[in-house]
Amino acid sequence: MIEVRDLKVRYAGRTVADVPELDVGAGECVAIVGESGSGKSTTLLALLGLTEGAEVSGRVRVCGVDVLEAPPRELRRIRGARAALVLQSPQAALSPATRLGVLMRRALRLHGRDDGEPAMALAMEAVLLDPAILRRYPHEVSGGQAQRFAIALAIALGAEVILADEPTSALDVTVQAEVVGVLRRLRVERDLALLLVSHDLALVSTIADRVLVMKDGAVVESGPAARVLAEPAHPYTRELLEALP
Amino acid sequence: MTLLRAEAVTLGYGRRPVVHDVTLDITEGGVGLIGESGSGKTTLARAFLGLLTPISGNIWYGDQILKNADLRAFRKDVQPVFQAESLDPRMRVGRSVAEALPRNARHRVAELLEQVGLDPTLAARRPHELSGGQRQRVVIARALAVGPRLLILDEPTSALDVTVQARILDLLTGLDTERLLITHNLAVVERLCRTSYVLFAGRVVESGPTGDLLAKPAHPYTRALRDAVPKLGGPPPEARGRTEAVPAATGCAYRLRCPLAAPVCEQPPPLRELDGRHVACHRAQDVPVS
Amino acid sequence: MTHHAPPLRRSLPRLLPDRFAAFGAVLIVLVVLAAVLAPWLAPYPLDEVRPLERLRPPSAEHWFGTDQVGRDVLTRILYGGRTSLFIAASVLAVSALAGVTLGVVAGYAGGWLRDVIMRVTDIFLAFPALLLSLALAVVLQPGVNTVILAIAVTWWPWYTRLSASVAASIATRPYVDAARCLGVPAPLIILRHVLPNSLTPVLVQLSLDAGGVILTAAALSYLGLGAQEPTAEWGLMVQQGQTLFTTNWWVVTFPGLAILLTAFAFNVLGEGLRGALDIRSGGARQERATQEPASAERPRP
Repeated sequence: MIEVRDLKVRYAGRTVADVPELDVGAGECVAIVGESGSGKSTTLLALLGLTEGAEVSGRVRVCGVDVLEAPPRELRRIRGARAALVLQSPQAALSPATRLGVLMRRALRLHGRDDGEPAMALAMEAVLLDPAILRRYPHEVSGGQAQRFAIALAIALGAEVILADEPTSALDVTVQAEVVGVLRRLRVERDLALLLVSHDLALVSTIADRVLVMKDGAVVESGPAARVLAEPAHPYTRELLEALP
Repeated sequence: MTLLRAEAVTLGYGRRPVVHDVTLDITEGGVGLIGESGSGKTTLARAFLGLLTPISGNIWYGDQILKNADLRAFRKDVQPVFQAESLDPRMRVGRSVAEALPRNARHRVAELLEQVGLDPTLAARRPHELSGGQRQRVVIARALAVGPRLLILDEPTSALDVTVQARILDLLTGLDTERLLITHNLAVVERLCRTSYVLFAGRVVESGPTGDLLAKPAHPYTRALRDAVPKLGGPPPEARGRTEAVPAATGCAYRLRCPLAAPVCEQPPPLRELDGRHVACHRAQDVPVS
Repeated sequence: MTHHAPPLRRSLPRLLPDRFAAFGAVLIVLVVLAAVLAPWLAPYPLDEVRPLERLRPPSAEHWFGTDQVGRDVLTRILYGGRTSLFIAASVLAVSALAGVTLGVVAGYAGGWLRDVIMRVTDIFLAFPALLLSLALAVVLQPGVNTVILAIAVTWWPWYTRLSASVAASIATRPYVDAARCLGVPAPLIILRHVLPNSLTPVLVQLSLDAGGVILTAAALSYLGLGAQEPTAEWGLMVQQGQTLFTTNWWVVTFPGLAILLTAFAFNVLGEGLRGALDIRSGGARQERATQEPASAERPRP
């Protein structure tokens, strides 16, 4: 579902992300780990063509579309509908004066879907949210609910790929466990491809099949999660692991 | 006698209490205060710092009630370490550190910065010119300037990268002060605190030695917290009970989330002793051990 | 991860490509220079009256023509800028000093002190600004000083309101709590932490307001309550030339344009500054939230 070769993102001549290879298949979960400034979020944004003002080279295919070549219209069709982005604080991305239900209905219509109500009900069920929440405004729901709503929105639109940037790091641990549980289940039930950006190695180790470790814009190590985290080859990966409290 | 102690304090802003009837002793070896956002842990910290007066109950500073005590002595004894963002964005960090120093002791700024592992030349920088970890060290240096006996640490590392976090924790463990650590991060509490209190909806639901608390939690909420923390290579974190249920207004506040809730939980649970700790749960005996 | 404020290098161009703001800034610099250098720039002495050259249309000798007593309009506009800018600067200095001082104290202290200060402020705000200025100007001797006093009296409460709401939000910042825990006395906390961090929105507001003050001063002069003959002042020039508009348009039009351009320049600069500073200053998002209602509900005089 995601296929990246020799992706380079440059801002003002400086390379901020350099990813030689990254593949995520249906039903797979790949995690990019690293600290702030490692380029992990930039990589994620580049996959959806959202790195404005940057010089991007290489080959990026998401859901069969060449992101770097495709015309903006085609990109917009992919974004949201087939490949959904889930951010750290979704509340900030939701229009504050619009009820969640209205928001979801609009999004469905925007992508030419006329099966509004049943799709919404199913999506809300998939993320274990009470449909009554659709009548609330963004500020009236908790962080965990907002995050699951963002996932429900992706599900309703029929996303095949979810790109999540630190989706749980602003949440309490118990809530984080719940959101992670939802993501894991959807991955199996719907064959979702999941690309997760996170700084939390422990969390990543429990959910990802493969891991890319990034530092200063470069991938320093990658491979199956179990191997990378059990026998880290790169000193930086070791440092990250030792830092776990 | 402990330096600082809360006795049956109820705290709130305006009329609505957010912390109910909490008794907490800041004993030796570090005390952890664990809770999720909205549990009232930061409000409690503000009361311990004398920034908030209890609606009822007392904060004891030695053998005096805090609001009647000598504030100058108190401010020298008890200092906060907030998140790295607690530096004035417009002030050079050296001045921030020097703020509490008498005029003739300004030379100590360099000493203090060195003590927290910073190059003294950084004193001329402003906060945004430092990394998150460096800022957090400055915050610690500022607190150490008055020579406190107790540090009240409010999520001191949660905004930092893991490698930086580890170094800050090393620094904090090496300091010769008592500490009250407020956090939602159980792993950090385990490292820094001999005793811990778990707060839910403004009430202490369990307290006791940190090791015991995490090894065999007696309260279903403590257990839910522990099991929700992902462990390296471990099983996926588990969500126990419904996390989105609001705290119940009557009876046990946790009962709407609790997988063990029973009719008896509609009565408020008393805080009772069990296996060397205090727990407020009717069904503590039924909490599975592992 | 943590989001830092963008470095200056990236936000400075945010102001510069805003061509309107840059245009405003250039215009203001020109107006100020013209006013300061008036004695050297002016083609004729300030009060030189040439009865024989009354109401001459714009020409090579008199670019903006002459007025009804034969004075060069360009000369009077250059000197008039001094009066208008002096009035604006004085009003803003007095209002900001009084308003911000009261505002940060109210915002930081909260409680009864805030209530007292804000109620007094509300009383001043309850009077329609122009009417209060008018009443004052009628009671006192008309003149430049009266204009300054009359406008400042109605202007300062806005700064109290603005800075009180900003200071109240600054007062809850962790660095203020940290200072309190260090035992720093309240006046020093206000001076060191609250005041400097509350100033950004005030500066923006000052720039936005300068145009308003110039307009109000011109209005008072126009009504005969401000600057008096023979002082060169733009509002006064418009008033004295108004009957001639259909026959000798230049007598009214050029001072009118001077008022308009200067007020406009301050406004666009203020808007530009607001946009740029909101993004630059760390944690400015909350400041913006508290600042906008205050400036949005402000009537344009």
